[in-house]
Amino acid sequence: MITRRFAIQATAGLVATGPAFAADRVVKVGLDLSFTGADATDATRTANGGILAFEEANSGHEVPGIIFQLQKYDDGSATAGQYDPAQAATNARRMVSDRAIVAALGPQMSGAGKAMAPILSAGNLAIVTPVATNPDITDPKFAALYRPAGRAIFFRTVATDAYQGPNMANYLAQALKVNSVYVLDDSGAYGVGLADAFQKQAGRIGVRLLGRDRLDPKAADYAAVLTKIRSLDPQALYYGGVAQAAVKLAKQAYEIIPNVIKAGGDGVQSADLLAGAGFPAVEGWYATIAAAHVTGDPKLAAFSQRYLERFRLQPDDYAVTCYVGARVIIQAVKDLLAQHREITRDAMRDAIQGVQLPDSLLGPIAFDANGDLRNQVISVFQIRKDPTRPLDSPNDQYHYVGVAPAA
Amino acid sequence: MIRLRRCFAGIPAARRRQLGLLALTVFILVFPLVHDNDADIDSMANAAAYATLALGLNIVVGFAGLLDLGYAAFFAIGAYFYGVFTSFQVMPLWSDGWAPLAMLGLVEKINQGGPDLVHFTLSFWLALPAAALLAAGFGVLFGAPTLRLRGDYLAIVTLGFGEIVPIVARNAESVTNGAAGLNGVQAPRLFGWNFGVDATPYYYAGMVLVALLIFVSIRLRDSRIGRAWMAIREDEVAASAMGIDLVRLKLLAFATGAAFAGATGVFYVAKLQTATPEMFGFPVSTMVLVMVVLGGMGSVWGVVLGAAVLQLLQSWFLPDLTEWCHALGALVGNAWLQRVDFVESVELIFGVILVAMMLFRREGLIPATRPAPALSFAAQHVAGVQRGGFVGLERIGQWPKGGGNALEISGLTVRFGGLTALSNVTLTVPAGGVVAVIGPNGSGKSTLFNAITGLVPAQAGGIRFEGKDILGLKPHDILRRGVARTFQNIRLFPNLTVLENVLIGQHARLATGPVGAVLRLPRTRAEEATAVQRAIDIIALFGNRLAPRAGQTVSGLSYANRRRVEVARALATRPRLLLLDEPTAGMNPAETLELAEQIRSLHRLGLTILLIEHKLDVVTRLADTVVVLDHGGKIAEGPPDEVRRNEQVLRAYLGRAGRAAADA
Amino acid sequence: MTTFDLFLQQVINGLSLGAMYALLALGFTLVYGILELINFSHFNVFMVGSFIALWTLQQFGLSGQETILVGLPLAGVLLAAFAVTMLATGAIGVGIERFLLRPLRNVKGPAAMITTIGVSYILFNLILLTVGADSKNFPNPLPPLAFAVGGAVLRLREVLIWIVATLLMLALTFFVQRTKLGKAMRATAQDPEAARMMGVEVDRVIMTAFFLGSALAGASGLIFGLYYNFTSYLIGFNAGLRGFTAAVLGGIGNVPGAMLGGVIIGLVEAIGGQLIGTAWADVIIFAILVLVLVFRPAGLLGRLAPDRS
Repeated sequence: MITRRFAIQATAGLVATGPAFAADRVVKVGLDLSFTGADATDATRTANGGILAFEEANSGHEVPGIIFQLQKYDDGSATAGQYDPAQAATNARRMVSDRAIVAALGPQMSGAGKAMAPILSAGNLAIVTPVATNPDITDPKFAALYRPAGRAIFFRTVATDAYQGPNMANYLAQALKVNSVYVLDDSGAYGVGLADAFQKQAGRIGVRLLGRDRLDPKAADYAAVLTKIRSLDPQALYYGGVAQAAVKLAKQAYEIIPNVIKAGGDGVQSADLLAGAGFPAVEGWYATIAAAHVTGDPKLAAFSQRYLERFRLQPDDYAVTCYVGARVIIQAVKDLLAQHREITRDAMRDAIQGVQLPDSLLGPIAFDANGDLRNQVISVFQIRKDPTRPLDSPNDQYHYVGVAPAA
Repeated sequence: MIRLRRCFAGIPAARRRQLGLLALTVFILVFPLVHDNDADIDSMANAAAYATLALGLNIVVGFAGLLDLGYAAFFAIGAYFYGVFTSFQVMPLWSDGWAPLAMLGLVEKINQGGPDLVHFTLSFWLALPAAALLAAGFGVLFGAPTLRLRGDYLAIVTLGFGEIVPIVARNAESVTNGAAGLNGVQAPRLFGWNFGVDATPYYYAGMVLVALLIFVSIRLRDSRIGRAWMAIREDEVAASAMGIDLVRLKLLAFATGAAFAGATGVFYVAKLQTATPEMFGFPVSTMVLVMVVLGGMGSVWGVVLGAAVLQLLQSWFLPDLTEWCHALGALVGNAWLQRVDFVESVELIFGVILVAMMLFRREGLIPATRPAPALSFAAQHVAGVQRGGFVGLERIGQWPKGGGNALEISGLTVRFGGLTALSNVTLTVPAGGVVAVIGPNGSGKSTLFNAITGLVPAQAGGIRFEGKDILGLKPHDILRRGVARTFQNIRLFPNLTVLENVLIGQHARLATGPVGAVLRLPRTRAEEATAVQRAIDIIALFGNRLAPRAGQTVSGLSYANRRRVEVARALATRPRLLLLDEPTAGMNPAETLELAEQIRSLHRLGLTILLIEHKLDVVTRLADTVVVLDHGGKIAEGPPDEVRRNEQVLRAYLGRAGRAAADA
Repeated sequence: MTTFDLFLQQVINGLSLGAMYALLALGFTLVYGILELINFSHFNVFMVGSFIALWTLQQFGLSGQETILVGLPLAGVLLAAFAVTMLATGAIGVGIERFLLRPLRNVKGPAAMITTIGVSYILFNLILLTVGADSKNFPNPLPPLAFAVGGAVLRLREVLIWIVATLLMLALTFFVQRTKLGKAMRATAQDPEAARMMGVEVDRVIMTAFFLGSALAGASGLIFGLYYNFTSYLIGFNAGLRGFTAAVLGGIGNVPGAMLGGVIIGLVEAIGGQLIGTAWADVIIFAILVLVLVFRPAGLLGRLAPDRS
């Protein structure tokens, strides 16, 4: 039956990106992020990482006979004003309905992931998220809910909150000798989860918790809560959340609590923070990345250069995780071809499950049976101004200081 | 094309509607079978959810005219109600006390290692009405303190509630799992069959919900309740003076709208199997409002169309259009076409729609009222003027004759700030009498009427109607006791028809409640039929001045006819005392005479009348007693002829006229 | 830090917030007093104002917090920035009134209010689509001076904000009380029909109200930027809502009431956040709003506009 959608696919197929040869097979990959609303800028930055990976694979004919085509989906909606789980579910169905799509990247938000996972599981379509960190989706406790069909379909190239927060608590206590802390989050799923995990571990290792507060990311004024923190005089402030609130927090914390150690997760490893808050406010902040860091890794610098040239935008951490997510999918296709297997959703799921990338931008990548990263190394960075380099480039202003010890 | 249109024009309107409905039903039933795309079906199911929200908000905003900017709060309440009672979030320790509930299938015993726990497994079908009731309860709770406020204050307070509910959902983590979202909300089951993740069953469930709520909306709209809501929307003061209990009916509208949202919340969350606070923020409330505005406030089919258009636009059509543009751009090598993204600018598009609709098409895509065209010249003159009068009077029956005094006012004093509008006025209207109140402008005549009907509070004195104190009662209570009025500056419900205006007059004398209106049992049907017949009889009193225009909206009527409709509306309340505030103002001498005759014939039927009138011939013709007010005080009282010769009265009138002449 | 110092510090924070809310509240009150219209576009006129201020300061070569100005250059730059921003937002307000609201002047019901919601959407998305969603660094040319007040810290920019807000409010009060146009404005607020008959040009009065209200919103946007050193497309909603609450609290339509309401809301936000937790700040503010509306609908200083329906 010729439907409208079929016609679109036919047209789109005609104009597959890159030089297509008659013999080339198009492998379609879905990409679902929140391009509308509050997270739109982050989404674009993240998506670009994936776009870059596939463009490079296509132009270099990295996989002979295969052209990758990225199909964008937006799970943000005007109705919600930001990410919308209902739209994410619709998009998951859209990907499942499109028989040409064999794997997907996304989503950005765990709330969207929760709505998508059961549908993708039923459709047997594997998805690799570069951003969503809520542990529930891959938690075997909830396997019946999020993978009703049985096997893992939700993979991550990002560590869950279960590691980043606790490991940073250990780092603060052991490396920086912190024994009292105040915890803030930004009301988002990511931030709350991260702060909760941090708080739990801090309590376990005997770091005194002086208080916990929640920031409204849309509010402008955090002076009230920071003044309260100043009066309690903690040694460190841990912030779970992303750049939106962090920009304001960093600026005001610099003035109100200049001498407190400030730390956050990968949400504060961000070009937006550097550009929005700027020096000197951001000086000294600690951030973590859920990946091994090879000091002076030329690959990462080269990636940043290529990304900047292609998109005129500084890459952030999630651009890297998305790039690696795309690399996982590309590697899975390669593995299938090497085994002379048909590229189906089923085969792709198995291939992604078995992917080994020993040398990715994030260090060695492999997944456990739940879809989580097997090697959950948490690297710690600190912002120190390097006036010789672009001031809004995370790769130049965040300096590696070590590994956060596992809990 | 034209022939086709002619062909349709040949079918009567009612049949055309039936055919349209049938075609729509068939399309909706068949769509998932022929359209093999789960995602588009899912988009339609989401659109159905928003259509039900729009239907609910339409009752609040469209019918009752209450601007609610926090409607998503009720959506959230329904959603979290179902979500919490079917997910793995709240799991108290199992004890045998739960066993009876387990037998009913509401809970089950589970073990996740450790002690036995209770897992709530509330049935979807039970949750729908339960959530509707819960949300309605919250509607009353939120509404009760705020519905007394002016309309625009209500908007801002509801906005506040709309903000607070997601904040509570975000911070009450033990119950809602906060920002991370609920885990594993259970999918609906029907006779043991699980809806699962396929979109089609949700699509059908959503469509059934929409159909049901359209039905409920239409039934409510075309009932005593719906008419009362629209009266409130059109003119609160007049509605209350016509016997409508404002607070009660506003609360009812608020609760009904909330109930729709609560049920929708259950459906939406069952479909998504998760819920996060972000799904219920301010943008959702405004978006539903945009849907209502686009479709047409008060128009049941309109808001459904508005919701469908906007929801499908963003989740289905705009992404497709974007893809088409990208493909076209790549084909013709246009960089802008390849980059353009309509989905990202959808909010901008909505903003433009909102402003454009307000400026150019306020009535929406499908207007709620399509007024009957004004009578043609021929139609107006075809049968000559029937003047009405006694014709048909017997059909509206005798008024019970009371003895003694109908109205006794003693020492009534009304002040507005420093201004004393009435001071120590004492006045008696005997049952079956006609008393006229005259006096220069600003002498307090209309204030007297407002005080009698409870529209302004009095600082001192007493008002007794048929021996009982009515001072301090609400206007609708006073009407219920048998005091009806007209207004000097005509306060009809302008966008409603003549018939509807007169039917609203009967509000206090009818009994149909919201449940009766929806079920429309034989008793309700009979009551409605009687009410309509009575309204027609009352309209017929005015001959073919009004009868042929019963279906026209009153805003299009002539001034004299609007005065007549006001009298008709007041008569419909079955008053024993009728207060007429300058009923013949703006009428020519012939019309004045005609109305005076009609008033006199009403009086003969036993109706007691208190009249404000400037035209002395009318006063002389009708009144037994004339009361003269000046500067808020009574200066004379007596038979018309006597008062006419009263020195003080002459001075009050002429003195002022003389001064005015000197000033001019 | 003693409890008293902490309290003092929160009072300083609250007064600065309050100054901003008061300026926003004045815009709501001016328009509401005359048209009985809740002007939702005001939220985002404020937001656009902060961006206009940002661009203006950038024209002077200011970016980030690195450049500090003192003396005349500082005064000149600030004066120019206030002038440009206020004129620009004032013009936006006048444009909204003239082209979008005037045609609806005599339409009953919520049409005009819904239009302002639509305009708010449009402004919000125009900024989002053109400048992006990330927060923008806002220049701060003020020298980082701070004074110790007991155990609390009072910074130069807080003092500056208080001074500017007070000056603007005094100017507005003078305008409304003493000038002919201001008197016409008050007359129109009392009774538009009577004012029209007395020869007041109601159109001009309404336009003036929109101009002044929007200009004050622009000033407020600039103050916001100077105070927080950032701006973003999102800032309108929260600040606008507090501004509106302030206007209602003080008695909508009442100019001194708006100022008082702004200061109270600012203090409540700072001190309430301290005592109860910032996550509940919105809940506290709205609870106040509901309580005031229910128990004292005319606001603290009164003058509920007469019901003209």
